[in-house]
Amino acid sequence: MVIKGSYSSRADAQHYKGQYPKVLVEGHIDVVNPETLPKSGDPSIRIKLQPYSQPVVATPEELAAIPVELSFDARGRVIENDNYATASRIFASAKEAEAGGGVRIYVPGDGDMMSSTANAFILAAAMKKQTIRPVYDIWICGTAGEEGKGNLAGMKQLYGFDQKAGTGSNPLNFVANFGLEGGGVVNFLGSYRFEMKFKAPSPRADGPSAAAAMAAAIAMIADVKTPSELRPGAPRTTYTVGRASCEPPPAANAGVPSCSLEVDMRSPRKETLDEIRSTIEPMFQAGVSAENARHGRKDGSTEAISLELMWYGLRPAFIAESVDNVAVHTGLQSGIQLGVVNSPMVGTGSGSLNDNVPANTGVPTYQFTLASSAAGAGGHAFWEWGTRGAPATEVARMHRVLTAALIVSGFHAADGTIVPPAIGPIGVRTREVVR
Amino acid sequence: MKRLINSLVFIAVIAAGTSVAAQQSGNLRVVFQGPGGHSSGAYGRVSALHAAARAFILMQKALPAGSYVITNLTGGNSVNSIASDGLIELRLTAGSAAAYKELVAAVTKAAAEGAAAENAFRGVKAGDLTAGAPATVRSIVTPF
Repeated sequence: MVIKGSYSSRADAQHYKGQYPKVLVEGHIDVVNPETLPKSGDPSIRIKLQPYSQPVVATPEELAAIPVELSFDARGRVIENDNYATASRIFASAKEAEAGGGVRIYVPGDGDMMSSTANAFILAAAMKKQTIRPVYDIWICGTAGEEGKGNLAGMKQLYGFDQKAGTGSNPLNFVANFGLEGGGVVNFLGSYRFEMKFKAPSPRADGPSAAAAMAAAIAMIADVKTPSELRPGAPRTTYTVGRASCEPPPAANAGVPSCSLEVDMRSPRKETLDEIRSTIEPMFQAGVSAENARHGRKDGSTEAISLELMWYGLRPAFIAESVDNVAVHTGLQSGIQLGVVNSPMVGTGSGSLNDNVPANTGVPTYQFTLASSAAGAGGHAFWEWGTRGAPATEVARMHRVLTAALIVSGFHAADGTIVPPAIGPIGVRTREVVR
Repeated sequence: MKRLINSLVFIAVIAAGTSVAAQQSGNLRVVFQGPGGHSSGAYGRVSALHAAARAFILMQKALPAGSYVITNLTGGNSVNSIASDGLIELRLTAGSAAAYKELVAAVTKAAAEGAAAENAFRGVKAGDLTAGAPATVRSIVTPF
């Protein structure tokens, strides 16, 4: 949704290859659970409601057995029945929800970042309704493809990020960025992701097994300790084999034709990220070699298991050398103004967000969430749930985002004065657009 | 939660026991369940898929050559999530019902040891909770 500004109508307006300056307010909704889409004839994911008096579900079967759920009409719009009213109740905390008859709403993506992104569009509607007029355009965007194989796809598209080159051309000429996930991060975790395929050229039940080769690799990876686990003080580094699957055997007496796995590695610095990669990446082939050797086969020989790189994911790392930019200034100042930030300081931690892309491209970025769940847990797992928080908190957060975005974009005040933009009209980029 | 896990184990033993009494071959499904979570934010939690792979290797060591074919290894729902589920499917063949029962017992033992190894690596034990959910990986073996 575009909140149109006045800048482009100025006679002296500058642009980058036809694109006038824009401030981006961006949120995303990604669900990584369930693994497979619901049936086409019944496409709705069941959104279950569970009283706090009951324990959090321990299995998908327990979740499916909860009888109370939200209902949707043929167009996919929620039916505002008694269950909807129950789910819509708001509480200040989990304790109040438990005491006041609140429910856990089991819904994939609730915390990442459904509630925040939904509120971005409520903010956009309010800006339109109140005829708020910035100087630079403000784009309020919802993106997809942040998680998993999405590989920050929505954000990379907005910033013209080239995966191989590792650079963004910023073709839409964003001058500043506000993300709606996280809060106040200025350093960004880099990550490497691999999808590897283990292939059995002639899958025999008594020959080298693709599944066994993959299992050997995963079992080796499972015992890896990261630089931060090995050396106190080293940058926090993490990994996991997030997903694995195998093709079914083509016949009763055949083996598995192929299996694939996906690995995630993260660290805020390229050096430690490369270190964990150099530990884990050879284990893919080590699993293959171990299984081939178990059957007396040499790697590369007939019937030996082979390895193929299927996908490589990249989130560019970024360590801020300076935080003296408009996004950080306005992000902090808006928080101070609204009483939710007490100090003009930024943290030294790192995040892994869509903001990796503008930061790496050189566009100033800051983040705050618009969500206000009273409680929630189970993110990225089958048991993800949340309970609605207080609207007053959400409104305060929208006020902060609005304040920060308008300071950067400039705006037409009610008395007719024009508050100028806080940044020049040409955004930063690490690669020029070729048109 | 400990009671639940004990119940699952009990059900598994009953289910496997009733199915093996009169057969010399069959299929087993070994399910691993863990708390899952974000790969970075929840780093340090156990992985049901890592546990499954550990169990897979233990099964290879425990089962005689020719007595089994592993037909599936799967788990997890995205690259950047700690897997909350893991699954091994295998086909067993034995010369007698008693021998088959021993194979099932070996698979069940390897599954439990694979889960235990993952729990030990991440320093969690039965009864521990993470964000209200069981913190450990649990395994269950059923015929199919």
